[in-house]
Amino acid sequence: MPSNRSKSAQNAIDLLVLTVLDRRGPLHGYGIATAIQELSREALRVEEGSLYPALHRMEELGWIAAEWKASETKRRARFYRLTKAGKKQLVSESERWASFSTGVARVLRHA
Amino acid sequence: MSWFSRLRNALNPRQLDKDLAEELQDHLERRAAELAREGQGHEESKRNARAQFGNTTRLLEQSRDVRLWTALESTLQDVRYAWRGMRKSPSFTLTIVLSLALAIGANTAIYSIIDAAILRPLSVPDPGTLFRLSYPDITDPGATAGPDRDWFSYPEYVQFASVAKPSARLGLFGASGRVKARVFRPNAPIERINGAFISGEALDLLGIRAALGRLFSAQEDRLPPGPAYAVLSHEYWQRRFGGDRTILGSKIFVNGKAYEIVGVAGAGFWGVEPGKPVDMWVPGTQYAAEALTEIDWHWAHILGRFAPGASAREVQSRIQPSFHNFVVQVSKRFPTLPPTIRQQFLSSAIQVTLAPTGVSDFRKTFSRPLWIVFGVGAGILLIACANVASLLLARSTARSSEMAMRVSLGAGRARLVRQLFTECLFLSLIAGALGWLLARVTGPLLVRMLSRESDPLQFDLSTDTRVLLFSIGAAAAAALLFGISPALRGSRMEPMHSMRAASGQASKLGLGKLFVGFQVACAFNLVAIGAAFLFSLGNLLRVDPGFNPRNVAVLNVTVNSPDEADWIISDGDKRLLEPMAQLEERVKRHAGVQAAALAWWPIFGGTAWSEQVILPSGPTEHEEIFYRVSPGYFAALGTRLLAGRDLAAADHVAPEPSPVVVNEAFARKYFGGVNAVGREFSYPDHDLKRRQVIVGVVGNAHYASLRKAAEPIAYFPVQGANSFTLYVRSGLPLGQVMRMVERESRAVGTNLEVHEVTTLDTLIGNTLLTEKLLAGIGGAFAFFGLLLAGIGLFGLLSYSVGRRVKEIGIRAALGARRGQIVALVLKDVGGLMGGGIVAGLGAALAILLVLRSLLFGIRAVDPWVTSSALTIFFITGMLAASLPAHRAASVDPLRSLRDE
Repeated sequence: MPSNRSKSAQNAIDLLVLTVLDRRGPLHGYGIATAIQELSREALRVEEGSLYPALHRMEELGWIAAEWKASETKRRARFYRLTKAGKKQLVSESERWASFSTGVARVLRHA
Repeated sequence: MSWFSRLRNALNPRQLDKDLAEELQDHLERRAAELAREGQGHEESKRNARAQFGNTTRLLEQSRDVRLWTALESTLQDVRYAWRGMRKSPSFTLTIVLSLALAIGANTAIYSIIDAAILRPLSVPDPGTLFRLSYPDITDPGATAGPDRDWFSYPEYVQFASVAKPSARLGLFGASGRVKARVFRPNAPIERINGAFISGEALDLLGIRAALGRLFSAQEDRLPPGPAYAVLSHEYWQRRFGGDRTILGSKIFVNGKAYEIVGVAGAGFWGVEPGKPVDMWVPGTQYAAEALTEIDWHWAHILGRFAPGASAREVQSRIQPSFHNFVVQVSKRFPTLPPTIRQQFLSSAIQVTLAPTGVSDFRKTFSRPLWIVFGVGAGILLIACANVASLLLARSTARSSEMAMRVSLGAGRARLVRQLFTECLFLSLIAGALGWLLARVTGPLLVRMLSRESDPLQFDLSTDTRVLLFSIGAAAAAALLFGISPALRGSRMEPMHSMRAASGQASKLGLGKLFVGFQVACAFNLVAIGAAFLFSLGNLLRVDPGFNPRNVAVLNVTVNSPDEADWIISDGDKRLLEPMAQLEERVKRHAGVQAAALAWWPIFGGTAWSEQVILPSGPTEHEEIFYRVSPGYFAALGTRLLAGRDLAAADHVAPEPSPVVVNEAFARKYFGGVNAVGREFSYPDHDLKRRQVIVGVVGNAHYASLRKAAEPIAYFPVQGANSFTLYVRSGLPLGQVMRMVERESRAVGTNLEVHEVTTLDTLIGNTLLTEKLLAGIGGAFAFFGLLLAGIGLFGLLSYSVGRRVKEIGIRAALGARRGQIVALVLKDVGGLMGGGIVAGLGAALAILLVLRSLLFGIRAVDPWVTSSALTIFFITGMLAASLPAHRAASVDPLRSLRDE
């Protein structure tokens, strides 16, 4: 599988997507992208297109599921939602993230 | 994502591309709309949306790769994982793969024969609209309904074919028989091929087209018969003539008659009787003249094809009146027929049954035994699955820390189940492939086991994809059966619990015990059934046939007509007896030959002459076997003379009442005792009664079967015949006897020809093919099932001892003696086997009750069968337990406790 991206960046995107889907419920790709920007107050402004390979990868892993639905604009849009496995993943990922960041914070404070 | 959608993606990437493009387009439009709302111009907003999005093509490609490969990649990873796991424990893998391969192979081999003989439709267009005619068998009143009879006379065929129109077309199909053929070509050898008589339209009715030349037509059915033509099968044409197209018009010389080859049938068509492929078809009108006019010479099958829309009932009601006419005519020929049988005979009805698989005598005899053997094979597969399941289960417990590690690293449960399952599938597919290879080797051996030497079965076992599908299906089913529970179990690991349990309490063996118990039950079942079949065969082989079959060669000899074709004489002619007697005399004089005798045909060969017995007091309701033998027959075969004298040389020309010898059963049945010498009886010969006087009584001897009690037989003096049987008792090898008799035949001078050579032992063996099949395969499978159950027991016991080392160590430290610790393990064995044996015993009794008719001298609840099965199991259990028990007993308390 071609992937030039570093593992941690991938993990970060995964965590963001999972969180957004957890908080806001089913969303299409554009919705997810804007939500991430909004929530991070534009601090995390990734190339929007790179979101899609990440979405599709997570779909393959079974963390999120997708289906085509008519959207508010009467156009077909692909909506993603969190699965049970994704929920689990979110919990363990965010725990790891939290312990990692408190660790880093502690180091920064006591160094 | 599901396997299904992944497969869909892989098979239809264009749809995937479209979906991706649509999704990205949607995103771009939304972004552009948003930017436009913020005040950007139309073109500008579009451009900026694109810029923000990044390289669309690259992303499309990336996404597509993700979709297509992630899942496949993880599958490949699973397979790599499985492969690595297998290589790490080769003996474990070998045990699993071999036991499954043997089980799948055995099942596939049997299935391939069942498929070829019973299930596979004929290779003709639209076999579903074919039917065959038959009628109930009433030769044996009072016996349970046997298979129906489907042999008809030529006049019956002609009549039925004309009345069946327009609801159906009928065709006549003579049996495929071995004939001697010689092609009119330079240096052509004489060879044996399979020939069959058919009616002119028979091939056309089946929908067969000519690959070369022409087939027969209604023209060939005309009487008197025109020139003799022959059609070859495509396979024979290729095999013998290499597909030579110039073969048309050349002559083939069969049994003294020249046929012109007019065509070759379409490829793939071999006839209508599975196992009996035909090399050459000849019009029925070329058969002997009496075969075309005699109404009780039944020599051919009748198959038909329904006209569109016609029903079986319709065809039946068209044919029934003419069938009844024939029945009435035939019954008139037997004026002394007992009234009950006559009544049954006259009220019998013709039957019209669908026959997409053609006709088969083999099927009548062997379909039940084959299905039984197939059932036994399924039992083996179940045992093998349970065995593998318990092995995997034991390993999954051993791998619990690996699984726990992976769970705690975030592997999903579904992923673990999938991985474990991939392993199972991988194992069973390898086993399936091996099994298929095994079946290709053993299938033909099995067919040979069911064949008679003189008339081999030729089933096409190799080219059927259904068999391949069967083994794949069996492998997949096996994977499901043995894979599910260990996979679920393995993935249900609680990481904390199991990582701690590296030291902790032995987890329960519940499921493993269940598997081993199931194996024991199945295996006990198989052993009991196998033992029943083996004992049954043993009982049959111990039956005293009433003669000594060892070292007796049986040679069938024909007296060929000399070249003057009009010198056709029928059986009974004195001129034919002369060369027969000469041959017997010459053979007797040979060194090494102890005795020789003549008969019209061999015993245990399926041929019999039987007539109604008429006593001076009136006709009886019974027919008995009459058999023509030469003087010295009883001495040659070793049958004792109980009273009176043997037949003498002059007896065959003695005036009535003519001398006969009867056996003890005959004497007791009709004359109340052995002393029947001088008593008279007669038999009907058309309108005459042939009077006989008994000159001797011999001991009982079986005539056609070891199963039935010895039948009453009357022995008549041999007369001249066109073909006869020569029995030779000698210590010489069969080949040497054959060459010697052939030499003597030439010396006699007339056209004597030895054409079939066998031994009395072989002939008797041929009547026991079913029993040999059941005993051979049943016995082998029972042994195999026992072995598997033994392995299962051994595996579980050693595993449980391994887990209880600490407990045993403590017991030993507290003063338990060796004997007590061994008893501990034995208690386990007892528990494991007890339940299984009880369940297996119950099932075996039920099955044997159903199979009773195939057994000989065995009761359903047979103490010998049951006790021998129990003994075998006891020994197996002891063997399986001995090593683990030894290991348990030699646990060193110090070491086992220090491991803590």
